[in-house]
Amino acid sequence: MGAESAAGASRSAVVDAPDEDRLLTVRDLDAGYGDLQILAGVDLDVLDGEYVVVVGPNGAGKSTVMKSVFGLTTQMGGAVRFADSDITGLAPEEIIHEGIGYVPQSDNVFSSLTVRENLEMGAYILDEVPEDALSAVFERFPVLEERQGQRAGTMSGGQQQMLAMGRALMLDPDLLLLDEPSAGLAPDLVDEMFDRIDDVVAAGTAVLMVEQNATEALSRCDRGYVLANGENRYADTGDRLLSDPQVRQEFLGG
Amino acid sequence: MGIAETYSRGRRLATQNPVGVVVAATAVVLTLDLLGALATGGVAVSRVGRLVWDGLMRGLVIGLAGIGLSMTYSILGFANFAHGDYTTSGAFAGWAATYLLAGLGRADVGSLLLVGAGGSVFGAQLGIGVVATPLAVLAGLLTAGAAAVVLALAVDRVVFRPLRGESGIALLITSIGVAFALRNLLQFVFGPARRGTTDAGAVPDVEIPLADGAVTVGAHDITLLVVASGLMLGVHALLQRTKLGKAMRAMSDNRDLARVTGIPTERVVTATWVIGAALTGAAGYVLVLWKGTMTFNDGWLLLLLIFAAVILGGIGSIYGAIVGGLVIGLTASLAAVWIPASFARAAAFVVMIVVLLVRPTGIFGGRSTA
Repeated sequence: MGAESAAGASRSAVVDAPDEDRLLTVRDLDAGYGDLQILAGVDLDVLDGEYVVVVGPNGAGKSTVMKSVFGLTTQMGGAVRFADSDITGLAPEEIIHEGIGYVPQSDNVFSSLTVRENLEMGAYILDEVPEDALSAVFERFPVLEERQGQRAGTMSGGQQQMLAMGRALMLDPDLLLLDEPSAGLAPDLVDEMFDRIDDVVAAGTAVLMVEQNATEALSRCDRGYVLANGENRYADTGDRLLSDPQVRQEFLGG
Repeated sequence: MGIAETYSRGRRLATQNPVGVVVAATAVVLTLDLLGALATGGVAVSRVGRLVWDGLMRGLVIGLAGIGLSMTYSILGFANFAHGDYTTSGAFAGWAATYLLAGLGRADVGSLLLVGAGGSVFGAQLGIGVVATPLAVLAGLLTAGAAAVVLALAVDRVVFRPLRGESGIALLITSIGVAFALRNLLQFVFGPARRGTTDAGAVPDVEIPLADGAVTVGAHDITLLVVASGLMLGVHALLQRTKLGKAMRAMSDNRDLARVTGIPTERVVTATWVIGAALTGAAGYVLVLWKGTMTFNDGWLLLLLIFAAVILGGIGSIYGAIVGGLVIGLTASLAAVWIPASFARAAAFVVMIVVLLVRPTGIFGGRSTA
């Protein structure tokens, strides 16, 4: 890695890995909304089973990266590959068949549907509700099993966040995209949320996560990307990003 | 919570309560007045019974037609003013089928298909009724639903789909245009005259004795009751039990999330049109069967009451549409106890306004199709 000093974080966003280990490969991505370009030449890799975090200041384009992977933005250039297929420019309803799950930052549950119905909707593209996936979700988030008949909109923010994650896990995706899962949660719930994400990673699902809570997220992940103004700034293991004085000063508040 | 908020909450209560008090007081006065009139014989009990029954029938039709309006509102996000004319179009298609089946060989096919336009053939003359010609009526009911579905899908394809994503106002105004076009087309094809469609005298009925008289319940009343409540139960089961119904509720909740969940949103939109239109076509058909007459602007006139019902119940909720329909139907009918029958419709709107004053989101407000 082209580090500037022994302890400095790498600026190279591209990971060297054999093709069979590659899950998500984003190259030179230009994307935005309508005519408004947000991302310029973004590179990003997620390997099989890897836990990758994207951090950066507000307006850096973190969520836009996530949405672009899931086909929710206007793609203006570059390429997105997932496993063996080119998913550049595909619509979300096609991408979900490839094995990517997406949890939006807000409004991420169907509030008038029950908890169980929300989970069933997560498996809409299957002919039948996968019982094993459902029990796996219930096992991971016991509160969802206890409250399966409750309307999602009447649950607390933390429970809704777990439901949103559970819904995305119903298809047992290879890659889970999480957009600021800790947003709006009480501080004691934030740690619990991160623990649950660790569990998901431990079970073999790769996670690509955007997070405001940068220090905590970087300390738990395998690798992190620092984005600013829609461009790559740093990319390295979480620990090295956290220990780089320049990264700390510029992006992590000292 | 600051003092200012406590204050404003107090003020909200203070401004809301008077309305509630006035409403409650008015209800009590009207009830006492009715009880007094009943006791002294000023109003016959059987007359009230007949009005309640009549209101129930109207309410079921309004509620059934309102479900479709409410569904398209909650899933497509606009108030479809052409909905009433879908009702009429379905009814005309259905009655054309009924006339054809009941009158084949007895009148020329053209007159039958035009539902006796220009007085060429009459329903009474064909002996149409649910007991006398059950197959013709059943076929008519199914045709009415199917024709309304075809019409709604065609209009969606040509008019509304290109405007998907436009503002609700643009769609609403477009739908008013569609309504005018449909109504004038119906008038052009079927003629402007009101016509009798059933052999009303030959429809069997039973007199249910009630205190000082009787309430007449005819076979067509029962047909309306069975068809409307059966379809309502069917929609309920569809929305709560089936995957499609759950997807419809999910989509009315949060369209963007439905899309990232993999729900095929355009297919759900199509299903919404199909179900809503089938119900409204069936409502139009049974309304004509029950009333025994039809004309080209029936649906347009009914639309005001349908809107009142849907808004009263909480727009977007199908249960709100059903309850709202019953409230509007019963009010419009029962108001004749106190005021001249020609003002009874106005009473329904007064009730709607009062309910909205007390509960601005409607009875089932904010529960979107659930």
